[in-house]
Amino acid sequence: MQAITSLTSAFPRSEALVQATRDLDRGRTTPEAVQELYLRTEAEVAGLEQRLGLEPRTGGYLRWQDLFRPFAESWEGFTVGPLTRWFETNQFYRQPILHSPPGRVAGAIANWLPLPPGGKGPRKAILPGPYTFAGLLDNRSGETPESLTHRMGRLLGDEVQELRAAGYTAFQFQEPLLVYRPPEGARAEAVVAAYRAIASAAGGSVVAVWTYFADAHNAWPLLSRLPVSLVGVDLSETDALALAPATERRGLGLGVIDPRTSLVEEPAEVVRLARSIADRHRPTSLWIGSGAPLDLLPWEPATRKLHGLPAVRQGIDAASGGP
Amino acid sequence: MTDRLFPTQEIGSLMKPRWQLLGQRGESLDDAARADFVRWNELLHFVPADDPAVRKFLGDRSREVGAETVRDWAALFLLRYLEATGLDRVYDGEARRIEMYEYPVRQMRGFQFLGHVRSFDNKYYLKAAGTGEVRLDHPYHVEEFEFVRDHAKATPKLPITGPYTLADWSYNEYYLRRHEGWKGRDVRRRAQRDFVVEIARQAIRPTLAALIEKGCRVIQIDEPAAGTHPQEAELVAEGFNAATDGLDAEFSMHICFSDYRPLFPALLEAKRCRQWAWEFANRDTDGRDGYEVLNLFREYGDTRQIGLGVLDPHRDEVESPERVKDRILRAVKILEDPRRIWVNPDCGLRTRRLEIAYAKLQNMDRGAKLARAEVGGTAG
Repeated sequence: MQAITSLTSAFPRSEALVQATRDLDRGRTTPEAVQELYLRTEAEVAGLEQRLGLEPRTGGYLRWQDLFRPFAESWEGFTVGPLTRWFETNQFYRQPILHSPPGRVAGAIANWLPLPPGGKGPRKAILPGPYTFAGLLDNRSGETPESLTHRMGRLLGDEVQELRAAGYTAFQFQEPLLVYRPPEGARAEAVVAAYRAIASAAGGSVVAVWTYFADAHNAWPLLSRLPVSLVGVDLSETDALALAPATERRGLGLGVIDPRTSLVEEPAEVVRLARSIADRHRPTSLWIGSGAPLDLLPWEPATRKLHGLPAVRQGIDAASGGP
Repeated sequence: MTDRLFPTQEIGSLMKPRWQLLGQRGESLDDAARADFVRWNELLHFVPADDPAVRKFLGDRSREVGAETVRDWAALFLLRYLEATGLDRVYDGEARRIEMYEYPVRQMRGFQFLGHVRSFDNKYYLKAAGTGEVRLDHPYHVEEFEFVRDHAKATPKLPITGPYTLADWSYNEYYLRRHEGWKGRDVRRRAQRDFVVEIARQAIRPTLAALIEKGCRVIQIDEPAAGTHPQEAELVAEGFNAATDGLDAEFSMHICFSDYRPLFPALLEAKRCRQWAWEFANRDTDGRDGYEVLNLFREYGDTRQIGLGVLDPHRDEVESPERVKDRILRAVKILEDPRRIWVNPDCGLRTRRLEIAYAKLQNMDRGAKLARAEVGGTAG
């Protein structure tokens, strides 16, 4: 079993970027200067990923105002709606309003991804999951939630195909709603169908479903059925030792960093817990990252927390005789 | 308690006038800011127009006046502004405050500011971690209250950020570290309880005691974070009780823009809370559905006062007196006791221009009068 550590969400903006984007809103700097700073900071995040062995790399998603905004601003059928609380946090997203069946615009999302095409090394795209996306938007399109969830899966599958061509090797879908408000019946089947479409488009690439903000226990039977490479659970919400191992062996994601506290996790403690979970689930690979999004923290404490991950990776690898 | 039905009160901060912002920075007033000062002073007489300092301020020598004096004028202005709209309970529009988190935390020991976290888009807030035992450096808001007390014609009502909100908007390191083992959900909740209760006991309660000592009788504890984690409503109540333990004043709890239903009945354990001052108008419809949530108080047999939000602070539209009256009467119908109802905006009107907020507050007063006329009589 291989332990893989990687960023599993947007990274916080640096204090310099905070200041620059504030200044931009107040007319005290230029879009060009802010763009330049974004590029430099994304390179800094990519460098941090490289130094800490966080792979596949992501680049940090610093420009994304929220998980849905690039889609709401560039796909057809959407407008950007009101500020809405992001689960039980003090962050807000602008709720996408869907007026008609959504339409993907080729190349639009690729423009939002921080890592330039053609670069070296494995890279991961972090995208909204079809259930969370369909469930949190304001659906005025007339399409049923089930049909919309399935459609989102197909559209995101098309996105995956395009991003594979641009060099992306792993695709992580953010699905907090799957555990916060687990679907049942036809809606649950629509989720399975959506991920079938994504898996089919992904070919041999890694497809991860990442859950957080709630206990995965109730959604676990559904999560176990999804045709994906791995499912991630937030260990600050979920007792993974109490989850039934999947019948088919696959990867497992562990959100070991809790960004709702700045207290740094003790690597030895994380290793102990991860090893017992791995003993129970016997995953093909163990993906380690933050549970909830890291941008719930400021830049410095987020960076400090990430610095514990190499020791966690080494500890797990040492125990399993790999890599 | 006043002896008339449907007394009115302010609920939060107002927009700072531009002349205040320029004056505090020692910058010259532009024509618009100067005209604004003169116009409001003609209406409210908050400072003598022939005061030499006022003449300097308006005559391009604002730097000589000093930031403190400008702040005092702004506090007086907003105090008179609220009084002029007919409110029974007033404050200074929070003219001296910039926000409701960083300032109180900076009066305490045991916190360390870590950096900025995004709230949305390019908006951020500075967030601290509780890294040690919470202790109070100095009771705060005291001088601010004394100024209002010395100048108010109506009864002052002081707003203060509650312990649950201060804890929820901070990271919890110290109290989490005290729990052994993996910091899962249950551990996190226990540690959060310790954090909230310590802020309440060590910082908020001594501050409230100091304010009461200075004559503060009406205190609104703001808990905007109360609805963020509905399963922690019990903790909101526990923090409230710890903060007010053994103190004698009229305490209210302000919550806004939350789903209230999951907070019941746990929140009702805030025993020293005499009034629930919540937002309703924001969720209202022509059918007055926004007030249906009041049924929860009947359902759970809670008979305390209600601070009834009748103005939506996020819209420029000025509610008519008739709409205000309708909202009050809807609440009367549900609660079946008009004596329990205080009338206020949903939340602070600081996002509205001062002219708009003034018109809204005037119509709130008119609407309360209409409701009084319809119900008839006094609270006694």
